[in-house]
Amino acid sequence: MFRYLPLMLFVALWQAVVDLGVVDRHFLPSFTQTVAALWELMQSGEIAWNLWVTTYRSLGGLAIGSLLGIVLGLLMATSLAADRFFAPLVATTYSLPKSSLIPLFILWFGVGDVTAMLTVVLACLLPVIVGTYQGVKAVPAITLWSARAMGTPAHVMLRRILLPAAMRSILTGVRLALGFCYVLTISAEMIAAKAGIGKLIFFYGESGSYPYMFGGLLAIMVVAYASDRLLIAGMDYLLRWDDSVHASAEHE
Amino acid sequence: MNRISIQNLDKRYKTRDGDIPALGSISLDVAEGEFVTIIGPSGCGKSTLLYILGGFIPADGGTIRVDGKEITGPGIDRGVVFQEYALFPWLTVIQNICYGLEMTGMPRAGREQVAHRLIRTIGLEGFENRFPRELSGGMRQRVAIARTLAYDPKILLLDEPFGALDSQTRETMQDELLRLWLAQRKTVVMVTHDVDEAVYLSERVLVMSKRPGRIVREFRVALDRSGSREQTVLSDAFTRLRNEVWLCVRQQVGGG
Repeated sequence: MFRYLPLMLFVALWQAVVDLGVVDRHFLPSFTQTVAALWELMQSGEIAWNLWVTTYRSLGGLAIGSLLGIVLGLLMATSLAADRFFAPLVATTYSLPKSSLIPLFILWFGVGDVTAMLTVVLACLLPVIVGTYQGVKAVPAITLWSARAMGTPAHVMLRRILLPAAMRSILTGVRLALGFCYVLTISAEMIAAKAGIGKLIFFYGESGSYPYMFGGLLAIMVVAYASDRLLIAGMDYLLRWDDSVHASAEHE
Repeated sequence: MNRISIQNLDKRYKTRDGDIPALGSISLDVAEGEFVTIIGPSGCGKSTLLYILGGFIPADGGTIRVDGKEITGPGIDRGVVFQEYALFPWLTVIQNICYGLEMTGMPRAGREQVAHRLIRTIGLEGFENRFPRELSGGMRQRVAIARTLAYDPKILLLDEPFGALDSQTRETMQDELLRLWLAQRKTVVMVTHDVDEAVYLSERVLVMSKRPGRIVREFRVALDRSGSREQTVLSDAFTRLRNEVWLCVRQQVGGG
């Protein structure tokens, strides 16, 4: 429970500055006001629907982006031709802020799932490509040699040796991507959307109903945190054989 | 009959300052069922020789024939045990041992039967479903040897197989290897820097020079191995030969 202490202190401070009048209640709702607003949004069903939309856009985009990233990363790590072709594209687009493409995507694909998810896919692609590529490149020669000595055919090598050997690095890329996916979905929804937490936050922010806006933020924070813990639990299971530090151990 | 026939094998390493010869025209025949050990100073290219024999790295000249056929790459006729074990860490003990047989296409029931027999032989009953990270160094090396024996290669290539173990475990493992070899009479080529290990286990010890590695001397080991380790190691014959090999290796290290 000790690890939640800073979080509890933060909430207490937040509540205190509003209750003591250090910050005007109209500009910053207190924690209890925010929870009450969130409760209201939950009862009306407004939050559940918007959370669902944001979550499937985020995690759907993450899944598609990760799969594509793993395929491209494997291809680049095992084929010199693929590496030469994709490496400059990866290097030049890596630092490009993907959110800057949202207005363009809205123009092309309109307001909705495609725009949000495409942005997420693009953002998730790169860390997963890099994780996969580096993971495969770091497989020790001795592992490949012993696999070949035991008669592993070239087409089996990928699935039975390279993929599991690179798993830690691949999943680290996916976890990095998970951090981006909610941010980008919400950015896209804030620019233009019919539904989603981003749209909800923007709507209540514009109309000055800050407790509801903060309620929406609180809800997505909880969902994003839960997604990360879930991914870490999955990583720990998938990497239960790994003798290096476990994913969750970084946080305990 | 010669199982392995190496002729005029050359290997050079390319560096920025030009080629560095790693091996200097090595010729060597190994008979079927023979246990040969290659020993030499570190960096003499003895592991390189073994990797070329394994088919992992190409030679720059000369030929290697196994049963009369020139080798072109790794093959399941040559089982390799590496110093760092090279087990697949994501597979359990039994999955590691079954892996080679799986690649040959043997059905699950058949390969698990082989694996269970080997697990009994190496004394790891109860550890079937453990991952390598949960095993000690000695246990990992037992698994590494078992997974190589599982698909029954004609030749065993051992690259300092016990180098990473403490001396007690190393002796136990040497005895186990000796027992296995006496029972199965596979052709074995082992690389080591441990003189006692070389003399204790092999029928022939080849001493290599510093780089470029050349075979400078050959010792025939005619020891009675029917008795216990103590009987062998404390015999005059063992001591005499051990000293001779040690002196020869030492001369190589000293650059003599």
